[in-house]
This record gives sequence, structure tokens and C-alpha cells, in this order.
Amino acid sequence: MKYAFFLGCLIPARELSYEASVRKVMPELGVELLDMKGANCCAPFSIQSVDYDSWLALAARDLCIAEEMGLDIMTLCNDCYESLLMVNTLLKRKPELKDRTNQILSDVGKEFKGKIEVKNLVDVLYGDVGIDKVKNVIKEPINGLKVGTQPGCHLTKPKRIHFELLRGFNELDELVQATGVESIPYERKEMCCGGPLRDINDDLSRKISRLKLMALKDAEVQAVVTVCPFCFLQLDLGQLEVKRHFNEEYNLPVIHFIELLRMGMGMKLEDWEIKAHRIPITDLFKGRL
Amino acid sequence: MSELDFGFMSEVAGTPRGSGILLCIQCGRCSSGCPVARLTNDHNPRRLMEMVVLGLKKEVLSTQLPWYCLSCFTCLDRCPQGGDVGDVMFAIRNLAAKQGNVPAGVAAQAKALYDTTRVINPVRSALGKRESMGFGRLDAEGLDEVQKILKRTGMDKIVSSTWEGRVKKT
Amino acid sequence: MTGKEVMVIGGGIAGIQASLDLASRGYKVYLVERSPSIGGRMAQLDKTFPTMDCSMCILAPKMIECSHHHNVQLLSYSEVKAVKGSAGNFVVTVLRKPRYVDESKCTGCNICAEHCPVEVPNEFDEQLGTRKAIYMPLPQAVPRAMTIDKNNCIDCGLCVKMCQAGAVDLKQEPREEDYNVGAIVVATGFDVFDASRIPTYGYGRYKNVITSLELERLLCASGPTGGHLIRPSEGKIPRTIAFIQCVGSRDRRFGTTYCSSICCKYSVKDAVLIKEHEPNTTVSIFYIDMRAFGRGFQEFVNRAKSEYGVRFVRSSPGEILEDPASKNLKIWYEDTIAGRIENAEFDLVVLCPALVPSRGASELAKVLGTELDDYGFFKAGDILVSPVDTTVPGIFVCGYALGPKTGDIPDSIMQGSATAARVAEILERSV
Repeated sequence: MKYAFFLGCLIPARELSYEASVRKVMPELGVELLDMKGANCCAPFSIQSVDYDSWLALAARDLCIAEEMGLDIMTLCNDCYESLLMVNTLLKRKPELKDRTNQILSDVGKEFKGKIEVKNLVDVLYGDVGIDKVKNVIKEPINGLKVGTQPGCHLTKPKRIHFELLRGFNELDELVQATGVESIPYERKEMCCGGPLRDINDDLSRKISRLKLMALKDAEVQAVVTVCPFCFLQLDLGQLEVKRHFNEEYNLPVIHFIELLRMGMGMKLEDWEIKAHRIPITDLFKGRL
Repeated sequence: MSELDFGFMSEVAGTPRGSGILLCIQCGRCSSGCPVARLTNDHNPRRLMEMVVLGLKKEVLSTQLPWYCLSCFTCLDRCPQGGDVGDVMFAIRNLAAKQGNVPAGVAAQAKALYDTTRVINPVRSALGKRESMGFGRLDAEGLDEVQKILKRTGMDKIVSSTWEGRVKKT
Repeated sequence: MTGKEVMVIGGGIAGIQASLDLASRGYKVYLVERSPSIGGRMAQLDKTFPTMDCSMCILAPKMIECSHHHNVQLLSYSEVKAVKGSAGNFVVTVLRKPRYVDESKCTGCNICAEHCPVEVPNEFDEQLGTRKAIYMPLPQAVPRAMTIDKNNCIDCGLCVKMCQAGAVDLKQEPREEDYNVGAIVVATGFDVFDASRIPTYGYGRYKNVITSLELERLLCASGPTGGHLIRPSEGKIPRTIAFIQCVGSRDRRFGTTYCSSICCKYSVKDAVLIKEHEPNTTVSIFYIDMRAFGRGFQEFVNRAKSEYGVRFVRSSPGEILEDPASKNLKIWYEDTIAGRIENAEFDLVVLCPALVPSRGASELAKVLGTELDDYGFFKAGDILVSPVDTTVPGIFVCGYALGPKTGDIPDSIMQGSATAARVAEILERSV
């Protein structure tokens, strides 16, 4: 299985550890990731808010790069997923939008043909690799751990698109369960992490991540499992910000699913990767790090 | 309160993502679920729809009201009319941006996109770490094409006008 | 065949009315009902708008007349399997399901049920109460005979031993019978939208979130609680009750985009009933529009507000959360008139779900050859000119099977009579 690896902006800027785990784990599952040369930012919600045609054209440009590679896209970030998936779907379904966008793209010698699919990490692990294969690579199951999963808004909404992809919370929960970890329900699981308001209204952004942390604490989870780098930022670094502004401590380690999988496979995290977690994970994952 | 603009609703309905405004029955299901609306009176999707219908163009386009949206799509999922509330919010923001009314954070991202093809750029140490790990180089090979695209859509003008100081601080 | 035989499919109020009208005109009516007793939805209700009469008190005499009228033959616990022929001369194959009880011998004394060791949820009580494997679905069942639910029966034979009339006949087999009729009337009624398809309302997960039909069973004196409105979770009397309108109705997400047309009426009726019983209980109705059409209803809504203190909140709530300790429900909503986002706690939440075509309607339509509309209700041949005709000559439809155009009880009765008149017109012409 080969994919065009769409990194997005946030991961190379602030979460190299996520990229590192993905690059280490995926080959073990038979997945090859090829870099997309010259890819631009996916045009997430902030850019979509500025101009519609720009959004279509910018996202379509990335889709064209993948089409030229002849591969489906795999992305890690929920915002990238939402942007690229929506544009891919819109242009495939509406010929007038496709023509309009291709007119702009012709300036740069590109043409959207609608030949590839956009997938995120959960899509690939659950749908293409399959739960059984994931279970097979687990050498040291992580038993006795209770977590709350944060699928993130754009993995599951808007449902009118995602229903067709049969997307739900269950995929991520099943994947988590495959490593031996128990995913427990909590109130506000569907709620946003507040990430999109970062740098636009930090006060609101913090208040929202605080609501999420409160719900997670009430459910007595031992850790939070994320798939989106934005959610990770909001809930991990966000705990320090919430502490500073609201004087509340949650001490909830936040960890990406791929890192959980990595540990379950018996691979140890490197020092710098451990430190990338602002809320320490050393106690919870003693012996695996 | 400013003068009412009775054409505002049609203006929004005519934008690519704004047609849902015609379906709104003001049931309040969107605002009941909106996480931001629960925290602040400044942002409320149902009220925003109401203001568009009433023609309160200045209030809607030149304040922070539409910019606190998380684009979490909770409202869109719950609307019984299939009114795509979340999309209408984007339509409103597009109109606001055309007038140069964009929060500083968004303007900064747009400018970064124009200058570097990315909205967030890694600091030098992160680039160094990247090289040492042997991951692919973060290139800006697409810069030329991105700028051509943005010049064609006119977003470069929106970006430059907001950057020149007509930015609304939140 | 004399040319004056008719089959009515569905033993609810619409089907009963059509049957009685035709029978009194001298037509021979075969009234087919798939459950063990006729009565339909109206038998499940407590009191009806606008007269606030006890529903069963109005219905029971009609049910009894159906069982005694010499022109009506009840084919209960039966289903229509095939139809051949055309208007004036249909041959309908009816499957007579075995009730393992001889209707002619059973007196309905109930001794068998008292001794039956198997207890299962009662469909008539919307799963809120229980019945035995040998049962009568409601105390006023017509025909007054027990039925054995073979899926749950453990073949202990106690009922056979206990029955003084020797009515239990475990050797009964299903049999198919053919009926030659000149016309067919469809009166299959409605089912209720599955509210668990809206996960944010918690139906199916939270015990104290119920549907309005379940509420009717709780309010009804012959229901599982003897007419005492108590909370499903622990049996306490609810002191704060919320009604939520348009659960599934007017909703493009599920294809049930229509207004079910009776929910505003019955929820205000239920709210007033509850207030009459327990004046100290707060009742709030969360609505998008209060569709108070027709005679007397707007006045009724006004009285509900001013005299009974029912709270009307113009809001369609976003979500309901349960307090795991108290099992109370918290509703998040925006009061759209005040423009405030609020949450409020309630002991009991009643969802008013969309009313959808009766389970099995599409299969029946295939058997009859009649068309269905986009929502799955039976389509009128010409909605303006002949609204109770289906798309097949000689087959007519009445009641909620026609869809949510009207749907309340007087309208269903009117339509039942209308189909009877249409049948008579067609058959008198062809004789």
C-alpha cells in the first residue's frame, strides 16, 4: 500500500514527533509513504473563511500533485483532511465547480481530474490495513489502561459527507482497543477541542479545551488519545495554558494513537519524542519508553 | 443600530456557500449545540442567521460575531432543514473578508500562505531537527504557483489590504 | 360471491369505521388485523383531544359492534399474502396465523395467563409492561380470546391443564384462505419514528427519555402502571416534565421532511392532562412552531398557557444529557424568543416522534399493486379529486395509512366513512 503523504503545516512546525512515529510504524504495517513535492498548505478553515475560490484552487492543487503521483492521499491532521476531502468531493460532484477551479489551475499548468481519494490515518489503519493486521503487530499489549479518545470534529462531521464514508467514533475506539487499551465514553466526546480559535481568540480557545478536560477528568480517564495534531496541541500544551489562566491542573497525559501503537509494537520512544509531550507520559508508560 | 439592508439576505444566499440562509426557520437547534455560543454571547449561529435575514449587514460583517466559529460543524449536523448553517458562516466570513474585515490571526495566516505556501512555518531549530532525522526537505517549490493562483483569485489583494493595518483586533 | 363482499385491512379506528359503515349497508366485511386484537393506536391512548374523552370508552363499543355484527367477519391474527383479480372481483389470500387457542371456546377468563411461567415485554404497552406467553394484548381485546406467542412459549402445557373450556389447541397450524371480494380498503395506520436515530437525545440510553406513545401507556388506566405517571428509572413521580416536538418530523436528515400534523395537538393535550392530575408538576413544551390549526385548538393552547401554566419554549433543543446519579435529564436549548442559551433539568423527557408508515406497508403495497408516495405512505390516485382511492381501482385507503395530511381521530373516522361510500359506489355499479 502506497500513499501520497500530506504533512500539512502544523506537524513539521511543532509536532515532529508525530511524523517520526508515523514514519517508523507504517512500514511495519506494509504502508509506504511518499512525500509530496511542492505541496502547499491545504487551506484550512481560516483560509476558507477568506475566499472560496482560493480554497478550492489551493486544495485542488494538492490533489493534482497526488493525482500526478497516481496515489491516494494520507493525511494526519483533521483540518487537512476536512479541506482536502471536501474539495475532492465537491469537485467530483459538481462539474461547474470543477471547471471553474480548473480554469484557475490552468494558469499553473495543472488540471484536477478526480482520480484519487483522500484518507486520514484512521481510514488507512482501519479500512486499508485492517484491524486484524494491526492486532498482529502488537507484541506487548497495553492492558489495564483506560483512555478517552478524541477523534476530533473533522473526522466525524459533517455527517452528510461522512455517512457515505461510514465514519464514526467506533473506528478509532476499535483501533485503540486493538492495542489492549480500553476506550471509555465521556461527556462531550463529540465536542471540538477549540483549536481553530487559537491566535484568533485565545480566551475562548482555552475555555473550550478546558470544558473538554473537565469532561475527561470526570470520566476518570488515565490518558487522552488523539489523532489530530491540533487536538493534541490544545489538550497537551493546552493543559499548561489552562493551568496558568484558570489555576486548574488535570495531569492528563495526551498521546497520539500512533505512539500508542508504536509502544504496543515494542518500539521505544526516543528522549526528544517523550519530551514533546508537555504533560509527562513517563509515569503512565513506565518501561515502554 | 445601523440602517437595514434588505438585500443582504439575497447577497448571502447568492454566495457559493450561503444558499442555506433561505431555509432557516429559527428553530435554535444550531445554537443549542454550539460550544462557543455556550461560552459567550458574542457568537450565536441562530442569531447570526436572524441578523442576516433582518438586513443588519454592518453588524454582521464588521464585527467579530462570525469569526469565533470553530467550524466544528455541530450546527450543520443538527439543522433539520439541511440548511448547512456551518457553510453559511463561511459565506458570511467571505463577504466580511472582501471588505477587509478579518481578525489579525487570520490575516497573519493568509499572509504566511502567500509568502511561504504554509500558514505556519517551522522555526530554524525544528528545520534542523528535521534534517537530522532524515525526513524530506520542507520545500517551497510551489511558491510560484501558489502566488499565481492567489493573484488570479484576488486573495492577494485581500491579504495585502488587511495586512496594511485595516485589521480588526479581537 | 354476491358482489357485496369487501375486505378491510387494518383494525384501527379507520378500518373499524369503514367496516361498520359497510356492514350496516348490507355489505359482508372481512376485517383483517395482523395483531391478536383490533383497536389499533386509539386503543393505546388515554384521553383524546378535543373532548378529553377516555379513548377506549369511545372505541370499545365500536370494537364490540365489529365482533357482533352479523355482516362483519373478524380475521384477527391474520395477514394478507396475495391478491389477484381486479375491481369487482379480487381474490385475496389471507394467512391465518395459529393462536393455538380456539376462539369459539375461549371465554377470556385469563386463568391460563395467570399460570403461564413465561413473562415477556408487552408490545401493546410499548415494551413498558409485561405479558405472558399466552396472553390478551389488552383487557378489552376483540376478539376476546387468548393467543400463544410461540416464539416465547416453552411448551410446558400448563395452560392446557388449566383451561376449563378446553380451548387451548397446540396442534393448530397456519393456514391460507382465499376470499373473493369486490373491493379492498387499506387502513394500516402508522408506526413511530425510531428516536434512537437521533443519538443526541439519548432515547434508548437514558431511561427517563420516552416517546409520547410510551407516555400514553403510562397515563392510561389499563396500562403498565395503572395510570400513574411515574419515571421508568425508579418509579418516582416526575415533577418537571419536558415535551420535545419534531423529533424526526420536519427533518431533512432522515427523509421525514413532513409535519406529522397531530403532535402539537396531542402534546398540549397531554400537558393539560398532566397538569390536571398534578398541578404542582411543571410541564414545558419545546417547539419550533405551535401548529394549532382547526376548531378550538388555538383556544386550547391559550388556555394551556393561562389557566394551566404550561410553559411553551420556542426552541428545538440540541442535546440531552443524563446525570448518572439522579437519572435526571439536562436539556441544552436556546430560547429563541429571549435569545438566551440555557440548560434546564427535567425528571422526565417526552419525545414527540415523527409518525411513519406502518411496518410492512411497502410489502403490502407490492402485494396489492398500489403505489406509495415518497415517504412510503399509500398514494392517493388523485390527491385532489379522489383522495381515498389508491392507484389501483377498487382499492381504497383511509386513516394515517394515507399519510400525515390530517391524522387525528375525527379525520380518520371521516376517511373510513369516505372509503365505505366509495366502495359502495363502485360495487353497486358493478352489481
